[in-house]
Parts: sequence; C-alpha cells; structure tokens
Amino acid sequence: MSFDFHRPATVTEAVDLAQRLFPTARFIAGGSDIVIQINRKKIDPSHLIDVACLPGLSGIAETSDEFTLGALTKYHTIETHPAFAGSLRALIEAASVIGGRQVQNIATIGGNIVNASPAADFVPVLLALDAVLDITGPNGSRSVPLQDFIVGPGKTSLLPVEIVTSIRLAKLPARSATAFVKEGRRRAMEISVVCVAACLTLEAGGSRCASVRLAIGAAAPKVFRAKAAEAYLEGQLADQTSFAEAGKLAAEECAPISDVRASADYRRRLVSIMVERALTACFERTGEERR
Amino acid sequence: MNRKILNIVVNGESHQVLIEPHWTLLQVLRNEIGMMGTKENCLEAECGVCTVLLDGKAVNSCILLAGQVEGCSITTIEGIGDPEHLHPLQQTFIECGAVQCGYCIPGMILTAKSFLDENPGSRPSRDEIREAIAGTLCRCTGYSKIIDAVATAAERMAISGGSQ
Amino acid sequence: MNAQNHSVAGRRLPRLDGVGKVTGKHVYAADFKLPGMLYGKVLRSPRAHALIKKIDTSRAASIHGVRGIITSADIPAIRYGTAVRDTTVFAVDRVLFVGHAIAAVAATSLEIAERALEAIEVEYENLPTLFDPEEALNSNIRIHPNWETYKALPIIARSGNIAGQARIRVGDVEAAFAKSYKVYEHRFTTALQHPGYTEPRVATADWDANGNVTVWCNTQLPFDTQNTLAEILDLPSARVRVTVPGIGGGFGGKLRIGVEHFAALLARKTARPIKVMSTSEEELTAALPRQASVVLVKTGVDKDGHLLARSGKIIVDCGAYAGSGPGTAAISLQVMAGPYKTGALELEGIAVYTNKVHSGSFRAPAGPMANFAMECQMDMIAKDLGLDPLEIRLRNVVKEGDPGPSGEIHKSVSIEECLRKAANAIGWHDRKPEPGRGKGIACSWWMTTGGSSGVYVKINPDGTATLVSGAVEIGTGAITGAAQILAEELSLDLTDVNATGVDTQAAPFDYGAQGSRTAFSVGNACLAAAAELRRQMFELAAKQLDAPIEGMSLQDKHVIAGNKSISIAELARISRLAGGGLIAHGTAISPAPPYDPTRVQNHPLPVWNTPSYHAHAVDLSVDQATGKVTINRYVVAQDVGYAINPTYIEGQIEGGVAQGIGQALSEEIVYQDGRVMNANLTDYKMPTAMDVPEIESIIVECRSAAGPYGAKGVGEPPCIEPPAAIGNAIAAATGCWPNSLPMTAEKIAAALRVQQS
Repeated sequence: MSFDFHRPATVTEAVDLAQRLFPTARFIAGGSDIVIQINRKKIDPSHLIDVACLPGLSGIAETSDEFTLGALTKYHTIETHPAFAGSLRALIEAASVIGGRQVQNIATIGGNIVNASPAADFVPVLLALDAVLDITGPNGSRSVPLQDFIVGPGKTSLLPVEIVTSIRLAKLPARSATAFVKEGRRRAMEISVVCVAACLTLEAGGSRCASVRLAIGAAAPKVFRAKAAEAYLEGQLADQTSFAEAGKLAAEECAPISDVRASADYRRRLVSIMVERALTACFERTGEERR
Repeated sequence: MNRKILNIVVNGESHQVLIEPHWTLLQVLRNEIGMMGTKENCLEAECGVCTVLLDGKAVNSCILLAGQVEGCSITTIEGIGDPEHLHPLQQTFIECGAVQCGYCIPGMILTAKSFLDENPGSRPSRDEIREAIAGTLCRCTGYSKIIDAVATAAERMAISGGSQ
Repeated sequence: MNAQNHSVAGRRLPRLDGVGKVTGKHVYAADFKLPGMLYGKVLRSPRAHALIKKIDTSRAASIHGVRGIITSADIPAIRYGTAVRDTTVFAVDRVLFVGHAIAAVAATSLEIAERALEAIEVEYENLPTLFDPEEALNSNIRIHPNWETYKALPIIARSGNIAGQARIRVGDVEAAFAKSYKVYEHRFTTALQHPGYTEPRVATADWDANGNVTVWCNTQLPFDTQNTLAEILDLPSARVRVTVPGIGGGFGGKLRIGVEHFAALLARKTARPIKVMSTSEEELTAALPRQASVVLVKTGVDKDGHLLARSGKIIVDCGAYAGSGPGTAAISLQVMAGPYKTGALELEGIAVYTNKVHSGSFRAPAGPMANFAMECQMDMIAKDLGLDPLEIRLRNVVKEGDPGPSGEIHKSVSIEECLRKAANAIGWHDRKPEPGRGKGIACSWWMTTGGSSGVYVKINPDGTATLVSGAVEIGTGAITGAAQILAEELSLDLTDVNATGVDTQAAPFDYGAQGSRTAFSVGNACLAAAAELRRQMFELAAKQLDAPIEGMSLQDKHVIAGNKSISIAELARISRLAGGGLIAHGTAISPAPPYDPTRVQNHPLPVWNTPSYHAHAVDLSVDQATGKVTINRYVVAQDVGYAINPTYIEGQIEGGVAQGIGQALSEEIVYQDGRVMNANLTDYKMPTAMDVPEIESIIVECRSAAGPYGAKGVGEPPCIEPPAAIGNAIAAATGCWPNSLPMTAEKIAAALRVQQS
C-alpha cells in the first residue's frame, strides 16, 4: 500500500494524468469504496487521481426535458433535492438508504456507477430511468446509456483513462411515478439482499400501463432490467394481478447467487414480491384510484 | 517515502502536517494532531465511531484519505464544547443517560450535530433521529436514551435560536 | 437506613465519567500511547486444522523497520485457561482453527508489521477437521490429542473432545415422564454471536528497568489478566501490572486475555513499548464470541400444564479451546430449569471442542440459548393444551420458599409480579388474532455472580472522597452506582466522590466487572468502607467535640453530636495532621446459599447467588411474504431488588434487549468449511438505531438480603429473554415456530412456505 496522490485542477488535466500514469493509476472520487478496497488489499494502485474537487462535476441542473446530475453529486444532495420529491421519488428513496449519513456525505453517484457492484442501490433507479452517462476521455466526450455501460460484476465499458462527468435523466411524462424498494437483514446500513426500482407510466385513461421499466439489483451478476416483465406489462391493466404476474416474470429473469446474506432461492422469491410492491407503490403514486 | 504537506483546519486551528499518501483523516487526527476523541474501530465506515464534521457535515474519517481533505475544515468532538462550555448535545447526552461505555459517543454526537445543523430550529421526530444516526453503531444503550438526548438538545437549540 | 429517605442512592444522577466521555477527553486503552512505541501484529492461520511443518521468519525479519518476531519457539511453553488449561499463546505444532495465532511481529509502523506477516512462510499439512459439535462428540478425530495431560479445575469432567460436562438431577425423571399426560420434545439451535463492543481489544505493554511489565489495556478483569500474564511470562504476578485507562464496552468478551500477551511478549523481545490492537477481522475470527449451541428439551406435563418432568441437553460448541465453554454449558442447566417448579429434572450440559474460534462469556453466558429453547417450548406446550402462554407460566412459577434446581431456597421471589406487569404493559389480555401480528412473552431468572470486592476510600481534606476499586467501569454506570451508595452513607453529594481508574498495583482486589455483580459487590464494599470511615470520624469527632460516640450521625457532610457538629472536611484535615488521614478498606463477599450437592455434578457454579427474576413481552409484525419482522413494542419487567440509579438500570435493559434483538433476528458469525464468511461489520449485523424499537422498562424492586439496600444484579438479564419472547411472538403472528437463531426473514419465509403448502 503505497501510492502517489494527485489532485488535478481540471477534467483535462485529470485525463492527461491518467493517460500518463496508465495502467497504475486509479481515479478516486468520494473514496468510500476505493479506500476500503485498498485497505483490504483488493487493489494496489501506484497512483490515485483525486477527481473530487474538479469543477463543474457536482450538483443538479434542470432543463425543460431533463435533469443532469454531476457525477460527483453526493447522495445527501439528491436526498434533499426538492425536484425529486415528485415522480422521481425513487432517487430519494435509494439515496437515503446507501450507508449511513456519513457515507451519504462522502460517496458520489458517479463512484457508485463505475463500481458496478451488482448490489448497488442507486444504479437500479438510474437504470429504470434510462439514464445516459456523459464520459470524458483523451479523445473528447461521449455519451453512453447506463444500460450499455455496466457489463458485469465490477465491470464497465469505461476506459481507465476516462471519467464519468454527468448522468442525464429524461423527465418523465405525466401519469408517471417511480419507486425503490430494498430488502436487507437490517433497516439501515445494509448491502441489499435484493433491491428493485420501478418506473411506471400509465396510459391517458389511467388504467393501463403505457410503459414500465424495472431494474433489479443483487439478483444477477449485474443490475439488470427485467425486460420480460416490462414487455408483459405494457398495455396491461395496472392492477394487482398484472403486477404479481410481472413479479413472477422478473423472478424468472433473475440469476441470483447464494451468499452469506441470503440464498439464491430467497432472493428469487424477493424479486417476485418486491417487483409487485414497487409497481404497486408506483401505481399509488400516480394518484389514480385503484379500481 | 513520498510524504506531502497537508494543510488542514481542525477545530478552527490551521495545521500543516507531513503525511504519507495512504494515511486517512482518522490517522492524521489521532496520530498527528492528537484529537483522540475521534475513535477508531472498523475502519470501513460501518460503525461510525470515527465520525467528524467535514465542512460541517458528518463523515467517516476512517475512509477519507488525508489528501482528499486538503484545505478543508474539520470539527472533532473537542471542537464543539469543553467541560466548562458543553454543547447542548453534550449536555443532554449526560442528562439523559445516553452515555455508557462512551466509545461511540463522540461520533454519535457529531452525527447528531450534523443532522440538527442541517435544519436549524427544527424539532425532528424520534423516527427522523433514528434514521439520521443509523450510521453510528452503539452496542451499549439500545439507542433510546441517545434519541432522548438528541430530541432534548434539538428542543433547546430551537428555543435558543438554532445552531450552536 | 430506610431506602425511602435516600438523597443520593436511588436517584437519577448523571454518571461520574459523563463529561469526559462527551468531550472526548476520556482516555480509552485504544487512545493510549508511549514515546517510541512499536506496533504489533499477529499472524493467524488460514487453515482450520493442520500440522505446522515449518515456520520461516527470516525474510520477514529482514524487512526494514521490523524489530522483532516471536513464535511458540520463543516463549515459555505454558498452557493457560480458566476451566481447562488447554490454551497456548501461539499454535504449537498444530493450528486448530482459522485465525489461530502463529507468530507476532513488532515493527515501527502497522504497515510494515503487516508486510512482515505476509513475508512469514509457514508450511502446513492438513488434518481432518471437525466443525459440527454433535459430530465432535463421537468423532475419532481429536482436537486435543493430549487433553488428558492438561490441568483443569477438579470439578470439570472431561473426555476426548468434551471439554466439560455438567449435570443437574432432581427426582426420578423417567418415572415422572411415565406419569405425564403429555411429553414434548424439541430441538433448537443458536448461533455464534460477537459481543460487539465498539472498542476493539487493545493493549500497550512496556517493561521497566527492574524487569517489571506494565500493560495498559481494556480488560474487564485486570486481576485475572495480571495472573494469566504472569503465567504466560513465567513471572511472579507482582511483577505484572495491569491498568485499564478506559474501556469501550466488554459484555463479557473482554474477560479473558485478548491481545495483552502479544504486547507483553513482543515488548520483552524488543525492549520497546508495543501496542497491539485487533482488527474487525480478528475480532470476528479470533475473539471470544458467544458459543453456538444445540439445545434438546423434553418436558412432561399434566393436563393442566403443570411441569412434571424435564430432561434437557445442551451442546455448547466451545471451539478450539475450552474458554468459557464448560462454565457456559453448566450454567445453562439452571436456565433450562427456569424460574419454574418442576417435579423432576435431568439436565446435562456439554462443552465440546471443534475447529472454530474458541468462545467466551458474552453477557449472560448460556442465558439466551437455553431460555430460547425452554421458553419457546413452554408456548408450544401451552398451544397444544389450549392454555394461555401467560397462564401456563403463572401455574408453574416458583414462589417464596420453593426449592430451586440445586435444592437452594428461592427468596425475595418476584417472577409472578414481573410476568403480570410485562403482560399488562404489552396489552396481553387485549390481544386478538390478526394475521401477521402477534405478542410473545418469556421469563427467566439469573444469578448475581459472587466473588469478593475490596475498595479503598480516602476522605480528602476538602471533604470529598476518593474511591479506589479494582473493578473496571465498563460503561454500565456500576461505579457511579457504587459511588452513590458511598456518598449516601457518608452524607456526601455524588460529585464529591472521585473514582479512580483501575491499576492492579494500587487497587485492592476485585473479582471484576462481570456477572451482573459490579454495582452489587463494589456497592457492598463501599457500605463496609463507609462504616469504617464513620467509625474513624466519630472517634475523632468525639475527641474534637468532647461528645459521646453514641448517638452521633452524619448529616450534610458533618458529624452531628447533639447540638454540636464538625465537618467531614475538618475531620479529614485534623486526621492528616495527627492520624495519617481518614482511609478505609471495605470488603465484600456474598457467600453462595446452601444447596443440595447430590443434585449437581461437575458444575463450577452449582448454585446461584441472589437471583433476579424478569419477564419480557413483545408485540411484533411479520411480513407474510418476505418474513421480515418489525417489532412494534417491547416491554421488560425486571426485578433489580433496589434501583441504585434507575436511569442506568433502564440503560442496561434497553442495551441488553438491543443485543438480544440482534441475536434473535440478525447476528451470527457464519462459518463455511471452517472459515468465517462475514468477518467484517458489513456482514456481521448488529442492530442500528433503525432496528431497535422503543423499549419500556418496568423496574420491579423486591429487596434482596445480600445486596446494597437490597439490590440484585442487573446487567446481564436483559439479553436473556429477547430471542424467546420474539420467537413466541413470531409464532403467534405466523403459526410457525422458528427453532433456530437468528430468526432471519429468510428462515421465517421458508417456514411460512412450508405451512402454506
């Protein structure tokens, strides 16, 4: 455990530095994960490039059709952001259960994304919102849908010399709502046994599902979208029966493991229950009366 | 060894400390600056005994590299009150019987202070307090009296006009 | 003195060490450092059971900054241990569990010490392993092939992998089963639980020019640590000084030596001060957790639910060394008998070796394990007989003068009062069937551990008192409680008492901060010291005031003789000039009550001193789909005899219940193939503030004969009943009885599924 610590002043400097020090350098943002990995001797970088103070990578901006979250935005900022109290409430729900307040004041959403932990809590919400990542590297900037960005457990399509600078979320149409639900052995400080994010948009009449996006964490090698369940729900009556069916379909789509936190079998059952519950919460939040 | 100078303000006093890059803020506070009220346990941000305020916000000092807090202002338990001038939280923790072994208490008080300072003058519910302090484990008290202490301090701070 | 008239004792006064603790000024062992100090680290086995073929430290020793390395070859060949002397500082020839210490390194920094550990080369040859305690009972594999050569307490019965086996027999149990209307037989299991103190075990050691060693550490038992260190170091105990600057929790996990020996041995080797502190990983793989156990209970009843016969067997998995296993197995017998009259008993407790971490005496050792089994079975019986769970208990609880399991006589009995109060508070009689919601109740009794206490009390010339005790303030407030008793007796304010830290060189002996005994026993020693000081002060006042001693009293910091008075401060000043000062040595021992030795075999604690009685009641909800438990309300009614300081008694109850909730629902050290799968606080799940409900404490005061002002032990009982009370409530909510701790959502969901199918 011995490394040099670098503090570039701009994104360009940071990328240049990463290129120069490749492959022995790692970016560090909040550090809540990487410092533990270094201490556990899981990684041993020779250089850490601190991006936490880079200008322009923090904070939440809003235009008429989208939100842009700086990659360095802290969970606590999201939790307290008034614009997310409405249809994007899942963002708040996930941000508020990641570690304790102390971690929420340190950890960044960009860090959580590039870690690509299968059990990341924030990633399912972003995935259910079809988030797009803006990335800067030596060859300029590119944008990638989050869906294509995470490729496996701890693996992303990010090059070691690239930085995620922001995350963009399209605003939801009317009659939309989101929900995030999580199960763990405790009520706080938990790595999810399973977590589910749902985004539901109802048809104009308000009784059928126009579009549904379901993202599930800790139930497969990476956070995934339950496409079969989503496809089934489109055009279906938004009711308990269809939500329960979607839960069953999602449970068939998942590929959980057994570990010290839970068995694969229990995780699969949770997926079924939690998908149904997340959808129910969305439906209630759309403000429509249940039939 | 690639040592570097760290500039840091701790409890209002500026310090220049020669650090090794892998040192954490916790190590700097305990080993270099002598702020032993910041405690050490899990070193993985799971227990909260190392909590300090970084620019006023509660953070786990065990997982922050010293280099990350260059130029920052840190408040430790020693910085919020002393035996003659206790912070309202320090006062109510004693009065409410919230202290047993006491090892989590500096971190717990700072976790609570960060929370109360966010909403000056508010009177949070017991459930809101529970959620706010959940990142700091206490094995002695079962939390009830800690929640009493935070609620009582919030009440007093609200009456006396917000943050202290 | 009439307790009603107390002005200091019995009151909710703030603890003496509170200001230091909230300002960060209180020094804990982890904060202690010395100039030039080196850091020690311990190399631990990655194998569960293996021969050590070779240890090569040469590469590690050559690392810059490494100052010393020790292995079993460098230290006296000593075996130590409380019940069985089976333990060594380092593995000798064989490693017995993953985490077993093999070598220790001293270096100028922790990082260098860690690098040195990686450079030590060890060659192993695997041996067959034993992880299942029931399998270990009859296996040919021997974890200690030379167990017969080990010394042990004469009372301990051992054989093969069995480190201790105790029995209680009352009456003819087979005949009583034959007479029973129904007989119930159940099996329960409980998991390894870490004490979870927030300050890891830590020690700093330094040797002086005369060959004496001082160890600053966070032990609960400084005198026991002193003796064990003296044995390990092969020194007279007077040359070992143990001092406890401050301790961040213990809960029984810091009773026995933890890292003190590594620090002392490395300091001797390097002639430098050494600090050794456990990591979380070491805590969860190589500390002294609560044993996992298997409990078999068989109970015969008549058709009204009266207990006619009970046989029980608890198998305590004590890990690679006996540790507290034999004592725990034995104590479980009294817990299994419970605060009940049972016609005949045949109870057996067995502590068995396995290739896992050796275990300790976590708060109320054996209590929650045996109570979980016994009290859950009570509810199963009640349900089968169509009886109310409260009613079946009330029909069977002991009353004043009834014999206990060892033939002792139950005195100042309050179990019925506790049960009724807890039941009323939880709304027991208003409960109605509601899917997914239920109420549970459980009760127990527990001892106030004996052992002697001594205190020195000195009156200072400003009229204050200095209290020197050998008992560590581990956080309970016990020393504040003892000081309240002292202040009460001397007509002082609590703040007039200054309690010192513990130093074996300066403090009188104390049996230590364990077994719910500290406030009780140190309080009694304070009573004795205060009596002696009153004698000294009255004698001196008689001369000063020219008044007879008869009729003198202490009031408001003065000796009063008729219409004359003199202040305590004045007397202290006079005594300093002429009499060497006012100082007293107060001592206390509470002898074990008479019992029937023919009932109890091979039991190191054959009869309980000054037992307390208590009942817990809980109202909870179970998510019928996920199995997740939500505790809505939790009530404890606990008999404390006399509440020395109600605030800290509530603190003991609330904290103990929180630990019990952890054991009931979330905590377990998980082993797989001999390896701990969750050796970190991410996956070892202690309750957070979100997981512990509001806990209502009902303090019952049924005075004891032996405790100060009638007090009984308080600290351990609150963690005994939670698993049983919660288990019974889960059963009430779901119809399924969990029989295995922790009762995780996953297990409950699985049980619900079985029920539904």
